[in-house]
Amino acid sequence: MDLSTELVGLVGVGILLTALFLQSESFVGPLVRGIALQSLLLGVLLGWLAWSQQSLDLALLAVLAVAVRAGLIPWVLDRQIRAFRWRLREVHAAQRVTGHALAAIALAIVAWFVFQETLAGVFPQPGGALPFVLLVEGLLMLATRGNTIVQVIGYLEEENAVVYAGALFAPHFPLFVEVVVFLDVLGVVLVGVILSIQRDVTGTLEASGLEELAG
Amino acid sequence: MIASASQLALYLLLAAPSAAALLALVPWVSVSRAAARTGSLVAVGASLILLGTAAHVRWGPYLGVDALAEVLLFTVTSIYATSTWYSDRYLRAVHRPYLTPQIYYALLSAFAFTMIAALLVTDLGLMWIGIEATTVSSALLIVLERRPASVEAAWRYTLIASAGLTIALFALLLLYIDTGTLDAIRLAANPPPLTLPVEMAVALALVGYGTKVGLFPMHTWLPDAHSEAPSPISAMFSGVLLPTALYAFLRVYRVLGTPVPASLQDLLLAFGLTTALAGAFLLQRQRSYKRMLAYSSMEVMGLALTGVAIGGIALYGALLLLVAHAFAKSAAFYCAGNVLRETGTSKIDEVRDLRGRMPRTAAAWVLASLAVTGAPPFGTFLGELLIVVGALAIGAYWAAALFLLAIFVAFLGVNGQIGRMVFGERGAARAPVASDGDAGAGFAYLNVAFALALGVASLPYLTGALRSAASLFGGGAP
Repeated sequence: MDLSTELVGLVGVGILLTALFLQSESFVGPLVRGIALQSLLLGVLLGWLAWSQQSLDLALLAVLAVAVRAGLIPWVLDRQIRAFRWRLREVHAAQRVTGHALAAIALAIVAWFVFQETLAGVFPQPGGALPFVLLVEGLLMLATRGNTIVQVIGYLEEENAVVYAGALFAPHFPLFVEVVVFLDVLGVVLVGVILSIQRDVTGTLEASGLEELAG
Repeated sequence: MIASASQLALYLLLAAPSAAALLALVPWVSVSRAAARTGSLVAVGASLILLGTAAHVRWGPYLGVDALAEVLLFTVTSIYATSTWYSDRYLRAVHRPYLTPQIYYALLSAFAFTMIAALLVTDLGLMWIGIEATTVSSALLIVLERRPASVEAAWRYTLIASAGLTIALFALLLLYIDTGTLDAIRLAANPPPLTLPVEMAVALALVGYGTKVGLFPMHTWLPDAHSEAPSPISAMFSGVLLPTALYAFLRVYRVLGTPVPASLQDLLLAFGLTTALAGAFLLQRQRSYKRMLAYSSMEVMGLALTGVAIGGIALYGALLLLVAHAFAKSAAFYCAGNVLRETGTSKIDEVRDLRGRMPRTAAAWVLASLAVTGAPPFGTFLGELLIVVGALAIGAYWAAALFLLAIFVAFLGVNGQIGRMVFGERGAARAPVASDGDAGAGFAYLNVAFALALGVASLPYLTGALRSAASLFGGGAP
């Protein structure tokens, strides 16, 4: 196995570990730093792929991953947390964090095997299953967590999964940079605008079920 | 000449709403409103030119239209126009709006622009960007009325729709890896061999775009967003946003060529019928009339997807159903907006005797509810009838039976509840009647009349375009 393959695999495992860490944490601050680390690792991976393939698109994606998803969005999220000093811990997840962690590990194993059984022949790259595992982990986070900042982190994880898959399997995917820029814009809108409105109108970041929205 | 007129129309379709969105930001509300209204009317005119010239051509590597895009462009621009004109009085009644009228009109036009752009591009990647952009442009409109529930709805909408669209992006990645292109026209003209990645791409696109269409079980954002958004925006959500998202899926689906593999056809049928039945039964227990209408839209999307799955004449029925429903449902939401403005409540149990309080709105609401639930002779009835005929023609009797069950349940639910609100006895306590309680009902009548015309007449250009659109997907026409 050459150095490049080893590096890609190693960073990929690091990304997977951050994903599992995010599932097992109920304090919001470490979660924000966790997604920043994941994005930074993805940026390193993209940078390496850009250098080895001499791809300007991948280099741009690496810059975006580091600047926006490892830098700007976590910084904005951190400011939101400071505004809600009294809610640094996700209220409902705190009691269920062990269950979340176990579910995340089980889901990662299932996703890995499903990939090996179906798509491994189509995507023979080493560590090809990792983006798919990351995608389902992001979906799990979105589906099971009740704090809006944590849901944003789930969304960012999904975005990281798409960028990871694109860079690994289809680096020449048309409009890839534009698509990622767009996803980043949406991320900024989510954290910068809607979270602020939520703070103004409801005074809480817990996405508690409202009576009127039942049914 | 035809090419140049079509080209001009295409540019106008992109320029009018985008210019309106920018001009709407000026400090004067009257100018902002006029810009949005003018932009919407120019867009309707441009879509009519495209329909009239029937120019199924492409311009450059990324832009182009065919019959299906033309039909939906006309529908989108029409509902954009009526919603823009209806908005004025609605906005005046909103207490402490979160958005200024200028921002509202700018976002409304931007929302229309994103849908139009998604319909005009031929690249599946750009189409994905267009669909995702609809989320960005419309999410803030939901919070106009500054209720905690509105913020919650905007949040759920943005997050769930975006999560779904990420799955759709994965689908496009798979498709590109297998075919090497995302050019929808090229893929449709030369369908790729049916490999596992292609089949998975179509299935994932169904789940991904299906989230935005409101398919069960990814529909949870839909009732929240539709019920919390201001009524003109609910009209655009239900009437045209859901069909635009379905259009994006259809473009991926078309890659399969004909005949469609049975496994994928069954998958579509399962999603379609489950969504229709879930929508029909869930609307029965709603306490809010706007939420009930939202579930009704979900039911209709399920019916339309069932028609797509069956193919043949049912496909024509599905397209007709989508267009007729867009006009009928927007009318229903305009009426709901009037009722909300007049009574100050969205609870079904608190609204009675609309016949006496606001007769013009009440009559339009009854007609609109009949139209959205497929009563004859509206276009929705004809569309649903053709889907049933298509199902029977291929021997899918169980599908036809479930389809009819969904229609029947939804018909009873929606018309029963609206009937209670319109004809029910009023209680002792009664809110004062606003002098302009019926204002804006004219737009509801206009759209209901169009839904009716689709059922009883062969409309110039539109009916022909619908036939051509169905034939693009291997469907037939009566």
